[in-house]
Amino acid sequence: MRSMLRYSIGGTLVVGPLLLAVTGPWFVPDTLTRGAPFTSGGGHRLGTDFVGRDVWHQVLLGGRALVLIAVISTAMSYLVGIVWALSAAMSRRRWLDEVLMRPLDILLAVPSLLILILVAGIAQRGELTLVLIVALINLPEVVRISRAAALEIASRPALEAMRLQGETWWRIAVGYVCRSMLRILAADVGTRLTTSLYLVASASFLGVGVPPDAGDWAVMVDRNRAGLFLTPWGVVVPTLLIMALIVGLNLTFDRVMSTRQEVRW
Amino acid sequence: MNFRRYVARRLLIGAGQVLIVATLVFLIVEALPGDAAVALAGDDPDPDRIERIRSMMGLDRSVPERLGEWLWGLPYLDFGVSVVSQRPVAEFLAEGLEPTLVLATLTLLLLVPLSLLLGVVAATREGGLFDRVVTAVSVSLHAIPEFALAILLVALFGVGLRWFPPTAIGVNGDLLSRPAVLVMPLLVLLARPICSISRLVRAGMIDALASGYVRHMSRLGLSTRRVRLAHALPNALAPAVQQIARTVDWLLGGVIVVEAVFVIPGLGTTLVDAVAGRDLPVIQGLAVVFATTTVLVNLVADVVAFRLAPRVGGAG
Repeated sequence: MRSMLRYSIGGTLVVGPLLLAVTGPWFVPDTLTRGAPFTSGGGHRLGTDFVGRDVWHQVLLGGRALVLIAVISTAMSYLVGIVWALSAAMSRRRWLDEVLMRPLDILLAVPSLLILILVAGIAQRGELTLVLIVALINLPEVVRISRAAALEIASRPALEAMRLQGETWWRIAVGYVCRSMLRILAADVGTRLTTSLYLVASASFLGVGVPPDAGDWAVMVDRNRAGLFLTPWGVVVPTLLIMALIVGLNLTFDRVMSTRQEVRW
Repeated sequence: MNFRRYVARRLLIGAGQVLIVATLVFLIVEALPGDAAVALAGDDPDPDRIERIRSMMGLDRSVPERLGEWLWGLPYLDFGVSVVSQRPVAEFLAEGLEPTLVLATLTLLLLVPLSLLLGVVAATREGGLFDRVVTAVSVSLHAIPEFALAILLVALFGVGLRWFPPTAIGVNGDLLSRPAVLVMPLLVLLARPICSISRLVRAGMIDALASGYVRHMSRLGLSTRRVRLAHALPNALAPAVQQIARTVDWLLGGVIVVEAVFVIPGLGTTLVDAVAGRDLPVIQGLAVVFATTTVLVNLVADVVAFRLAPRVGGAG
């Protein structure tokens, strides 16, 4: 009963913002009216923002990019990370393992938000850049966890049997090890996803990698701060949405994680 | 492995990491289209002018030559000259250092005892109300972006209730002169790390309390307090110490965001400004400083963890 309750708390927190983020853009009228900046009421449900746009419309528009960038970059880091880890763990040559793993240690030595700001500051602005950077930041952890999982699986007797049967490397690695890994990795997806969301939102807030008037919840928070004394909605609503999304995700995935009796963040 | 050899090995690895990061940062910046001279020429991108600036700044020399010179300057705290203001980068760093250091030190000073207390108390009452509340809150809070928490606090306590000043404008970097300014930034900085570390202390403590040697100690008739604090706690701490080091990563991210929200002129603000102005030498210098700090803190943490529970460090 209690676990049901905790699932539902997490679930409800996620579903609202997620639905809003994904379907929101479809509910925005084609012609947007502009009013005076930072007014409340006057035909605008939540008032207007720093350039006089309707806050409610911006809220509808602003979630999709955030969620999409986080999801795509997480998927990308897994795609690259699993292949990377498999090559490192399944190789018979020790030096290949070293060559593949050492560079990641260096990446781990640099704080993630610093990597983000550095690369975004000097690369071209845009969603693709942000996706690539966040994927890059997630990569070392994904590879480390995947490699540990692969090494454990590679020492199982089943694998030895497959080798004796003369199965190809490809079939062993992809057909057996990779499939067994996915189950272990599933427990870690939540952490990676919230990290990505955290990074994307923080970067957008700092104005790194996004246009300054982008329709994005985190950018809204930053831009509408100046009018906090006049109308709070342009700041408070997107902030609460981001928080609900992340807290909900965490609570939901924590249920999955807690079955593994491990604390690892 | 013996202690001295362990420290020496970690020092060597740490120095290598810093060197590689510094080289990478230099090369990444070097690989960009448009160098410092183009940035400096600004609105007047006349090729002749760019060429003159380039030779004036020594940018027309080969990459390895300049990389060598730059790396050679690092131990002497010579990070080059800002392309925007022509001041030495070291001056920028020195200016921003104080507020950031104040924030980071105060955070760590509060973080360690608070998370220890929460973790130990939760562990000794495993499954109780206090434990469940602490766990639920830390699971919820630990992934909230600092900026969201900061803005919410500002909206509530700064603008709504007017308990604390909403920004640090007017304090001019001397944060300690007006402690009220520090309350909200510290709350924001503490929120995330306190969750993860108290949870780790709790988990380590529960493990230690259930172990054979602790039961043996109790059987020997040592007091509960002595068993918990003198014998179980040090073993529970080793993973937590390493986690504290890893939160320096979070702390730094937090500091950048917190400085931006509360308008504190620290290193984070310097970085964001430098990126906005494409002041590449300043960005390079900051990257080296931040990477060095991270490596150093991790090193200290590994050494402390090795001291607390030698088997943990010896494995790595």
